[in-house]
Amino acid sequence: MTTIRTEGTSFWASTMRSFAATVRRDGFGWLALVVLILMILGPLYSVVLWAFAERWQYPSLIPTEFGLRFWEQTFARADIAKALPFSIFLSVTVTLLSAVICLPAAYAFARIKFRGRQLLLLSFLATNAFPRFGLYISIAVIFFRLNLVGTVQGVILIQLINTLLLMIWIPTAAFQGVDRALEEAGLDVGASRFRVFTRITLPMVMPALSAALLLTFVNTFYEAQGALLIGLPRVVTMPVLMYSLINSQLVTQYGAIVSLVLWAPSLILLIVAQRLLRGGYLTAGFGV
Amino acid sequence: MSTLDLVQLSKRFSGSVNAVQSVDMNVHDGEFMCILGPSGCGKSTLLRMIAGFEMPTSGDITIDGDSVAALPANRRPTAMVFQKYTLWPHMKVFDNIAFGLQLRHLSKADIARKVQEALELVSLAGYEDRYPAQLSGGQQQRVALARALVLEPKILLLDEPFSSLDAILRVRLREELRRIQRRLQITAIFVTHDQEEALTLADRIAVMNAGRIEQIDAPAQIYASPRTLFVADFIGAMNLLSGTVTNGRLAVGGLHLDVPMGAPGGAVTVAIRPEDLAVLPAAHPEAWSAVIEQISDLGHYRRAILEVGAGSSAFTMKMYLPKSFNPAEGSTLEVYPRRYLVYGGAGAAPFECVRPLPSEALTV
Repeated sequence: MTTIRTEGTSFWASTMRSFAATVRRDGFGWLALVVLILMILGPLYSVVLWAFAERWQYPSLIPTEFGLRFWEQTFARADIAKALPFSIFLSVTVTLLSAVICLPAAYAFARIKFRGRQLLLLSFLATNAFPRFGLYISIAVIFFRLNLVGTVQGVILIQLINTLLLMIWIPTAAFQGVDRALEEAGLDVGASRFRVFTRITLPMVMPALSAALLLTFVNTFYEAQGALLIGLPRVVTMPVLMYSLINSQLVTQYGAIVSLVLWAPSLILLIVAQRLLRGGYLTAGFGV
Repeated sequence: MSTLDLVQLSKRFSGSVNAVQSVDMNVHDGEFMCILGPSGCGKSTLLRMIAGFEMPTSGDITIDGDSVAALPANRRPTAMVFQKYTLWPHMKVFDNIAFGLQLRHLSKADIARKVQEALELVSLAGYEDRYPAQLSGGQQQRVALARALVLEPKILLLDEPFSSLDAILRVRLREELRRIQRRLQITAIFVTHDQEEALTLADRIAVMNAGRIEQIDAPAQIYASPRTLFVADFIGAMNLLSGTVTNGRLAVGGLHLDVPMGAPGGAVTVAIRPEDLAVLPAAHPEAWSAVIEQISDLGHYRRAILEVGAGSSAFTMKMYLPKSFNPAEGSTLEVYPRRYLVYGGAGAAPFECVRPLPSEALTV
């Protein structure tokens, strides 16, 4: 009896010791990787399987039949055929409008010393200082009176508000990062102010601006709360549709397929962001 | 081949700071002019007005006789090398230098040739494809110089271009700049707070203080005859002593000096260069007894701090010890001021006094 317990203890102790040794030897990185893979891929695993499952019955660990039948059915749905192009249209429109409004403002914040500059810059945090949903509800009340609820304009407006912080703060910091002396050096060799902006200032802030634009696009594409409250019932975006597909559809595959489709923008963002950071002068200084 | 004239040039910033006050300056063709002064004296503002980055409050700037005061920076025939590194980080060295040429619509072949020449001038041929971040600080400032010179400006402006470099590199680039400026015979204006830099580079130095020009002269002249007390104190080592002139005798802390006829009366300041103090082997009616407080061996010469006079009227002075003279700290010696300047009322030119040197005197 005693012997067995001793054996058991020593077995566990040696296992723990060898695991601890592995972690020590290969560093913390491996452990972190494993945890990350489980946390990220775990839920995705089931979504991906569901998206390609024709049939999946209870005791089986993997679908009993694979196929693309539900993809055809999903894209044949009238609501999806309408919501997907609309979501893309909305994200592009909001990103462009936000750029037109915010980028000149960011340049002004960075370059012009005016009264109340700091306060105004801080005020863009205000939309993040309160619970979003509460804010949306009070905005919805105002929009309702203005007949903006359920309209495309209303959804565009609510999304624009969401983009302000990102599209002003990131570009402001970027413009501030361009030393004035670099612009003066441009004037000094004979360039006009416009050309200094397009040939010197803009290329230097481009990585940060692209990041802000991409984040704005993706955030708008994925935003559901505001779109739900202001848009329904007539204006439906993809994330809003996904909610209803997941919550109220008997066919699990619809939700899974839409989830996969909604992956695309963030995947593209990742690839583009990597391209931006690779090559060019940003990495030249690091000897890459 | 150009001249620059500043006429009563003033700049007043909105905070009611008079950055530059009524500056008159004529820079000759091919001249290397240094504007020297402590930080905050307005020298950079003056340069930035010439470049067009600041608009003067009043006064005029002319280049070859034509006023440029109303022209924006991008239409002035000047080119500047800045204090900070201002190469555009997203452009390669070639594009940095070529940018100004491209704006002037030169042909590709001409641009390539001129960029090549400019890079050779600053000894950086072969660096065309580097990004600024891949260059050292000294190389970056050379490229900045090439970028300015490639446009063949009438006036080359330099705003403390070497101040962020280490001492050895600073001296090397200074010599290189002088060589290039001589070779191109370009009119250059160089702003610095480093008097050694100014003294070695300049044909003439303009010493600035509190927005005003105190003196414009050749380096030797500035050193030998500083026109104001500020210049006397700012340039080189100087002993400044306060004294009083009565009946042709100058009293300094209980001791006396001769002053010739015509010297200012009343309260004055006497300026004596350390090297103008000679040592006498024995007591002498015109020499001052002093105690050596401290001797610093600086290699090529020894500097002594002296306590001159006795009691409450004693004062300290610096001097350089003659080669053949090896006193110990704490010993006494007889010093003889052989040349000194007497500054009277505010703004008046100094009165120079040179005394005959006794034959037995030891000098540096």
